[in-house]
Amino acid sequence: MRLQTRKLVDRAFSGSGVFAIALMAAALLILLTPIFIRGCGAIFFTATVEHRRIMLEKFERGNRETVEAEIAAAQAAREPVYRMIAEFERRLADESGAGRVKHRKALKELKKALQVLLGPAPGDIRPMMMRDQYGQARWERAKVKLERVLYREEWDYSDPTKSGILILKPRAEDFAGTAAEGVFPYLKQNADKMLMPRRTVYWQFLTDESFDSHMFGGIWPEILGTLYLTLGAMLLAIPMGVIAAIYLTEYARETPFVTFLQTCISTLAGVPSIVFGMFGLAFFINTLKISDSKSVLAGSMTLALMILPTVIRASEEAIRSVPKTYKEAALSLGAGRWHAVRSIILPAALPGILTGIVISMGRAAGETAPIIFTAAVSVGKPLAIWQTLTQPTPALSWNIYNLATEHEAVDEVRHVQYGLVLVLVSMVLLLNLVAIIARARISKRLRV
Amino acid sequence: MTDSATNGMRPDMPSLLLSNRARLRLRIAETFGNGFLLTVTSLSTLAVLFIFYFIARDALPFFRLEGFREFFTSVRWYPSAGDAEFGALAILFGSALVTLGAILVAVPLGIAAAICLSDVLPFAVRQIVKPIIEILAAIPSVAYGFFALVVLAPLLQQNGGPILGVAVWIIGLPVAALAIAVLADMMTDRLPDRTRSRVRWLIVCLSGAGAIAALTFAGKTLAGLHISSGTNALNVSIILGIMALPTVVSVSEDALQAVGRELREGSYALGATRAETLLRVVLPAAGSGILAAVILGVMRAIGETMVVWMASGNATQIPHPWYKLLEPVRTLTATIAGDMGEADQTTGSTRYHVLFAMALCLLVFSFLCNLSSEWIIRRARKKAGA
Repeated sequence: MRLQTRKLVDRAFSGSGVFAIALMAAALLILLTPIFIRGCGAIFFTATVEHRRIMLEKFERGNRETVEAEIAAAQAAREPVYRMIAEFERRLADESGAGRVKHRKALKELKKALQVLLGPAPGDIRPMMMRDQYGQARWERAKVKLERVLYREEWDYSDPTKSGILILKPRAEDFAGTAAEGVFPYLKQNADKMLMPRRTVYWQFLTDESFDSHMFGGIWPEILGTLYLTLGAMLLAIPMGVIAAIYLTEYARETPFVTFLQTCISTLAGVPSIVFGMFGLAFFINTLKISDSKSVLAGSMTLALMILPTVIRASEEAIRSVPKTYKEAALSLGAGRWHAVRSIILPAALPGILTGIVISMGRAAGETAPIIFTAAVSVGKPLAIWQTLTQPTPALSWNIYNLATEHEAVDEVRHVQYGLVLVLVSMVLLLNLVAIIARARISKRLRV
Repeated sequence: MTDSATNGMRPDMPSLLLSNRARLRLRIAETFGNGFLLTVTSLSTLAVLFIFYFIARDALPFFRLEGFREFFTSVRWYPSAGDAEFGALAILFGSALVTLGAILVAVPLGIAAAICLSDVLPFAVRQIVKPIIEILAAIPSVAYGFFALVVLAPLLQQNGGPILGVAVWIIGLPVAALAIAVLADMMTDRLPDRTRSRVRWLIVCLSGAGAIAALTFAGKTLAGLHISSGTNALNVSIILGIMALPTVVSVSEDALQAVGRELREGSYALGATRAETLLRVVLPAAGSGILAAVILGVMRAIGETMVVWMASGNATQIPHPWYKLLEPVRTLTATIAGDMGEADQTTGSTRYHVLFAMALCLLVFSFLCNLSSEWIIRRARKKAGA
């Protein structure tokens, strides 16, 4: 081969490596950017008057007089719409034949779309579902719903070889020449007067309970549930993991049994997370019956089992990295083995052990599969500490799945989904950041 | 409890000699302490045996009732029908397909990145790259799944074809150019000096035109693809590949680092370039470690639940043709997660037991993978030591 070609191959080789790493960084960026930007949208957003009404009526937040004045002003702005519709309805009674049927249907649809946008019309019976009691609380959703009022969706299936094509038909056509014709231009012009959008910081998103399956309110039960599950898992996994690591590094000799234990640990590390969930169900709940059905306790135990190998491995490594001379000095001063472990080796290995613990904590917080059958429910109240022994809990990870796939109105709670993901990812990243910084400091100290 | 024993050996005690009774106490305490440590260690490690036992215990009734044949050979999966059928072949195939896809993404990228980290990048840059890999590994799987479902799936559905077309060019063009340059050189090596350069140009032009034609064709075909659903095997494969990347990178980087400096220096001293050193010397020497990395990557991909559950489409079918990644599939993990809620949990219906049978398959597979990767690493270490 020519030298030139050899050099080219060499460059290409390094280039492909750099490309791979750049791709990884890009993947991380592409993944995190929408999560951060849209996740912040759960807290910082443009809220309509309906949001302030919910805050006032459900949480007693905000100045009652100003909010009520605002609601009244919004009502006044909405009034012409309802007046025009009432007028239309009155004239509809005089109409007859096909035109009446058509108009009645159109009116029904219009009223429904209007209720979604603005909440129930004055004089209507108060609906049962909370989502029907209020209009759109977020301005960007309100704009979507406004489109639904202005345009009717129709699907064109005339070409059987392709999937249906969406056609937007202005609703104004349905009402051409009637008393309700003016509703649509009025809505278009006065939407912001009717809803009064204003930039809002809803930081209570993190501490509020949720209402009507997450249509309103915050994600506190989920955050609390994840904290309980994680802390419970750590409470169980840390003592067992650290003791096992001490035994394996300081006491165990190279017997076949210890080799077998090591194999067990690595096998445990390789068990798929969903299998842990099934084991938790079959063992903790169906066999030991530590609780009647799902509970935080069962979930914590399952998670603890899952992170145990990580804790053991990290602690082992930390203990092994303590210089041998420390231990020898302690032993030569007459300390027993346990005394040396307790007073010399463990303190020296502590930062490393903590780093491992922090990383496995992040893993426990983020795992979903083990808690599906053992601890997680979709909707729930925040639990008190003693309830964790018997009650299941919502959790960040599970509710992300649940809201994104099983919720009855996935698009309406998109901001909650992003908010949940953001909180979970920031929790895990924060823990890892702590671990990364701690490790950098440890390695610096050991090098000196 | 062992604490009281060690107290006896503290230097502040008046005498170093112990009475017989104190010595006995010390012995007992030490034995008990050791026993305690051993018990805790065994408890935490032998949990894996418990897992095997309890999964197998609930899986065996299924095999006893339905036998192995239907489960492993039939594609008819109707667990809830009155005349229930439990053919899991399509589901097993779905798991295998997305794992294969993930490996196709993770292995080339992972090995390239590992080589770059161990041999190319300077130390300071490496310190920046390592946290990126750690963060990729730390992000919860449900966040990946959410991204796959909410961001990637619509993107694939709307612009999947053109994106794939562009991707083919981005990857294919450099690879083709490199291959042509090397090929032309190798084919003309033996020719006499006079004709060599002319023949080389001829080869380069001909194969270059061929490669561009092939790429254009492939790009056009892919760009024209109609993707009916963004939640499909391709989507999941990409995401699983990214999730398996950190494992592949870190394990194969360890393997590359374990190949000593001496080998590399010897190769450089003979006049080899870095690429030649890596390809001919380092990679063969680190081969078994890299194989272990691939196996661990496979384990990560096949055991992953949330991403496949959310974004694989969950359609029990073998795509037609079998390698068509743009079809929705269903995997073992997603079936377990999805069906467990519907299966009658306490009375133990067949539907409940079949899910445990699937879990047993996963468990056995990951156990075998684990054993083989450990065996490979141990053997490699022994060889390096010898």
